[in-house]
Amino acid sequence: MSQPQRDHSLFDADISGAVLNFSMLRRLLHWMKPYRLTFALSSVLILVASTLQVLLPVIISLVVIGHIIRGETGSDIPDLGMIELTNQLSLSLEIHPLWAACGLYTLLQIGSSVAGHIHRVTLISSVINGLRDLRQDLFRHLETRPASFYDRVAVGRVMTRVTNDIEALFELLRGLGTLVGEFVPFFVALGIMLAIDVPLTLILLCALPIMGGVTYFFRSATRKLFRLVRQTLSSLNQNMQENLAGLQVVQLSGREDHNLETYTNINEDNLGHEVRTARWETLYGAFNDSMAHIALGVILWYAAAMIATGEPGTNNLGMHDGLSLGGIILFTRFIDMLFHPIVVLGEQTNILFRAMASCERIFQALDWDEAIREPQNPVQLPTRLKGDIEFRHLSFGYDADRQILDDVSFNINAGEKLAIVGPTGSGKSTLIRLLSRFYDIPNGSIFLDGVDLNQIHSQDLRSRIGVVLQDFHIFSGTIYDNIALGDPNITQAMAEEAAKTVNAHTFISQLPQGYATELSERGQNLSQGQRQLLAFARVLAADPEILVLDEATASIDTATELLIQDALRKLTANRTSVLIAHRLQTIQEADRVLVFEAGRVKELGTQEELLALDGLYATLHRLQFQEPTLDAS
Amino acid sequence: MWRSLKRLLPFIKPYKARLGLGVVAFGVARLFEGLVPLLLALAIDRIIAGNSNLMAPVLGIFAVVMGRYAAVTTARYQVRRSGLSVAFDLRQSLYQNLQQQGSQFFSTHSIGDMMTRAVADIGLVQRFISMGSILLVILVYATIVGFGFMLYLNPTLTLLLLPPMPFIFYYARWSSREMGIASKDVQDRLSDLSDHVQENLSGIRTIQAMVQEENEIKRFGRTNQRYANAFYRQAQINSLMTAWMPSLAAICSITILGYGGFQVLEGQMTVGALVAFFFYVNMVVQPFRVAGFMVNLFQRAAVASDRLFEVVSLEPEVADNPVAGTPALIKGQIEFRDLSFAYDAVRDKALNEINLSIKSGESITIMGPVGAGKTTLLKLLVRLIEPTPGSVLIDGRPVTDYPLAQLRSQIAMVPQDPFLFGDALRNNLTYDTPDRGLEPIWDAATAADLRTTIEGFPEQMQTVVGERGVTLSGGQKQRATLARGLVRQAPVLVLDDCFSSVDTETEEHILSELKRLRRGQTTLLVSHRVSTARHSDRIVMLEAGRILEVGTHEELLKLGGAYAELERIQREGADASDYEPAGAFT
Repeated sequence: MSQPQRDHSLFDADISGAVLNFSMLRRLLHWMKPYRLTFALSSVLILVASTLQVLLPVIISLVVIGHIIRGETGSDIPDLGMIELTNQLSLSLEIHPLWAACGLYTLLQIGSSVAGHIHRVTLISSVINGLRDLRQDLFRHLETRPASFYDRVAVGRVMTRVTNDIEALFELLRGLGTLVGEFVPFFVALGIMLAIDVPLTLILLCALPIMGGVTYFFRSATRKLFRLVRQTLSSLNQNMQENLAGLQVVQLSGREDHNLETYTNINEDNLGHEVRTARWETLYGAFNDSMAHIALGVILWYAAAMIATGEPGTNNLGMHDGLSLGGIILFTRFIDMLFHPIVVLGEQTNILFRAMASCERIFQALDWDEAIREPQNPVQLPTRLKGDIEFRHLSFGYDADRQILDDVSFNINAGEKLAIVGPTGSGKSTLIRLLSRFYDIPNGSIFLDGVDLNQIHSQDLRSRIGVVLQDFHIFSGTIYDNIALGDPNITQAMAEEAAKTVNAHTFISQLPQGYATELSERGQNLSQGQRQLLAFARVLAADPEILVLDEATASIDTATELLIQDALRKLTANRTSVLIAHRLQTIQEADRVLVFEAGRVKELGTQEELLALDGLYATLHRLQFQEPTLDAS
Repeated sequence: MWRSLKRLLPFIKPYKARLGLGVVAFGVARLFEGLVPLLLALAIDRIIAGNSNLMAPVLGIFAVVMGRYAAVTTARYQVRRSGLSVAFDLRQSLYQNLQQQGSQFFSTHSIGDMMTRAVADIGLVQRFISMGSILLVILVYATIVGFGFMLYLNPTLTLLLLPPMPFIFYYARWSSREMGIASKDVQDRLSDLSDHVQENLSGIRTIQAMVQEENEIKRFGRTNQRYANAFYRQAQINSLMTAWMPSLAAICSITILGYGGFQVLEGQMTVGALVAFFFYVNMVVQPFRVAGFMVNLFQRAAVASDRLFEVVSLEPEVADNPVAGTPALIKGQIEFRDLSFAYDAVRDKALNEINLSIKSGESITIMGPVGAGKTTLLKLLVRLIEPTPGSVLIDGRPVTDYPLAQLRSQIAMVPQDPFLFGDALRNNLTYDTPDRGLEPIWDAATAADLRTTIEGFPEQMQTVVGERGVTLSGGQKQRATLARGLVRQAPVLVLDDCFSSVDTETEEHILSELKRLRRGQTTLLVSHRVSTARHSDRIVMLEAGRILEVGTHEELLKLGGAYAELERIQREGADASDYEPAGAFT
């Protein structure tokens, strides 16, 4: 096997799993920095909005019921100046204090809504922008990792870092925003409550550890259940998806009943976990509302106790200082603000956990630093290369212990067409990957017009070599986009000319939108042969000095096959070409043939020379003489 | 909408007792909730009167809390449980029905579409039953109970609170619809984004070879920005809703403050009642708000239900209706008699009056250009698509007479697309009979030239293939599916272009194995290569649904027709000008 081995260690390295990792959060701040002013504005606004929000119940209880209706006054009532403001308003506008209070209430409500809205919008905009930049940087980083990196990793796992993990960070930052939105009013309300009545506030605060404990207990009891629900649900979907994708095989094998049984079992498992989860959630959900009602009872019970034991005090209720009727009502209105944050905190912990792990994974990906060695002072290539290639004592292995190429030396002359043949795993593909500089190569082993490849910047080199790989990659975009590849010098007419030359024009013009037809990698709206022709058009349009081609092995119907061979002939004309050949036709057209075996050059020469040699090529040729196609791989 | 939702009734019916219990329990819970502000009002008025005996209201609240807890828990659980059960049943029906569909159905319905129905639509119906009934109940009970208690306390004030309610309802409805659109957009942009990343990383070699990194990064920047925009828009709508809802509700609070305040000052209302009103108004506003969401949920559930029943009510594409007296063992004599077939009325006939008789034990290669009808012919034989009765016969009896299970177990077909399940190789190779012994599986693998490949894997036959395991090459996959067909040792073997990704040497080896294994048994195969066709007893050239030539390799060469031309091209190679499809060079 000449393929490099897959390596999972990159993904598993050092996920600490810490709940709060401050050095990591600090690193995250780097991306948030450009938006810090927006963020600061947002923070100020949450304070404004929360304060206004807390004042609303103050108007109802302390101003209207306490002051206006009950006539309670006193400098020690923590009304934050609302009573004074109402009276001022009433005097200056000459209206009843009750109307003034209503007006004030309206203004506060509008103010709180507006400030809250701007707070949320600015917060989310700074978060979105910061994470967009982070995602962009991550993508840039991944896009520029060398091919050797992608040999060893599973693309799917790299991909989730850009998608799911960044998504989780959104959740994290949004969650933190929600918590701030809950806890700021909590503390403002708490301050007012303490100012009114310390013992009652403390009694009510006792509920928090209880709720926290119950929430914690609920979360830990259900965490495993939630995971099981997710797992069974995804295996349900996976099972169905696979069953549908392979339905023909299922039906041809008579496996319908058996498969239904498997599905039913998973479905039953899932139902079981769902039901258990539902049981827990309903028990827990109603508990929170009940606590609010119990707190109501406690406030009343406390009030009753105060009246019973109260000494004649300063206010007309006969209560001790501070706890007036307005105060009692204010307490009943504040219960939600007091209890809600702890519930939200419980909801957010899981998200925080997950997001922290995601954050670590993102930074881990940003720290993958594998790169191609670029020269310090790259040689500037002339505008047009001649195209002489020399391999000089080239040895190479993907791992230290497996040598793929062993002392390979040969020349390709400018304008020559060289076909490489040899069995699977002989190192043909590795040879052209090195020529395209996908890997670091030993110094002094490959020369282009006499220049060591290591002295040329890889991007400069690649723009001179047109590579057509077996797995042709379609970029999403139109056919024209796929030919021109963003090169502004390639006009539509030039693209069409290239397509005509390589016999791709016919099928393209038969597509509904011609060259403007949108292609997609997944849509697979092109056949194998058409993809191959399109790849040729792309290379021809770029007009590189050197062509490197790894011929596709799949057999294609004869008509298309002929078009491909014809296109290949035009493509290689007057161009140094290195072709890994699987087809008789391609080999026949080549100037020289290189036979490769076990990483070594076995035979090299024109067809006639090799036949006369009566070696490996002659054997292959006999097979091909008997067979219509030669496929030595 | 209601008609669509009504279709769900047969699925809901088995759980009607459960659902009923839930609904009643909700009513009880709401009633308890309604009592709390009343008890609070009582307590406040006693405090004002200087009465320190608050025992009754306080104990009352505690008792109500406990009763409510029991009722709410029961109600929510029963209702949710019903939704889960309905979802369970729907999934089962969907799965069962889809399994009986064939190529006709899947030519117009994608797997992705079916998955959306199985996941999103069933999810919606489940939420409709669980949440929908909760919401409906909250709406009815809370408005009745809330308004009831308020009317009891102060009828005029209650009526004054009515005007904002429709606005709350419509605003909630509007914003939930907007939210739906916005979050769909976010989902779409997100899937664009993952497509983009996936596409880039899997084509990274080409991108780097073509020096496209900067272009692609720039292009990604646009996708990234579009996602950010969609996300921002959704957040904006969400935030607007969070801002507007309390503002609309505040109109009620101000009415209570203003009107109620004066009433208290004039002694026509107690302070306790005023406080209670603030609690009740919440009880009433909430349902109107929820109702706005509910309308949308109902509409979406109705659409989901229609989409589900479109599949659940399907008839099997190929029905099993065996005729008594068909022989238990198939010998392998096949006849196509005046066989014509069209996939639908619009398109041309895929097959046109095919007449062909294949002797038991014969090997046949079918050749022809893309779209000649090769695969269609094979599919009709195993009834993956249904032929007109009497046009396809096996051992002299129409294929439609045989039980499907028998037909497909004795005619082993290997389809063109080499599909493997994400499972152990062993389970893939012996997919039809999971408990088959290892020995025949290894034999089949050997014949398909897969032995050394499997032996190269550390876990051999237990190696898991696919995304979660080892990725096989196209050729390896084809050989695996071939082994899956060979292991069945069926009287008839049908291979639909199974060597396209296998190199010629290997193919040669497999063909000679086939010859040995299939001696005296019928074998049909489709191929593009003359080298493959030469080995069979007879060759059938198809073109545009008609049989062009039939005969042995030598006979057809002598005939000098399409087959001979193909042979020449494949032997010598040719200039494109030799074989010029209309308009190849324009």
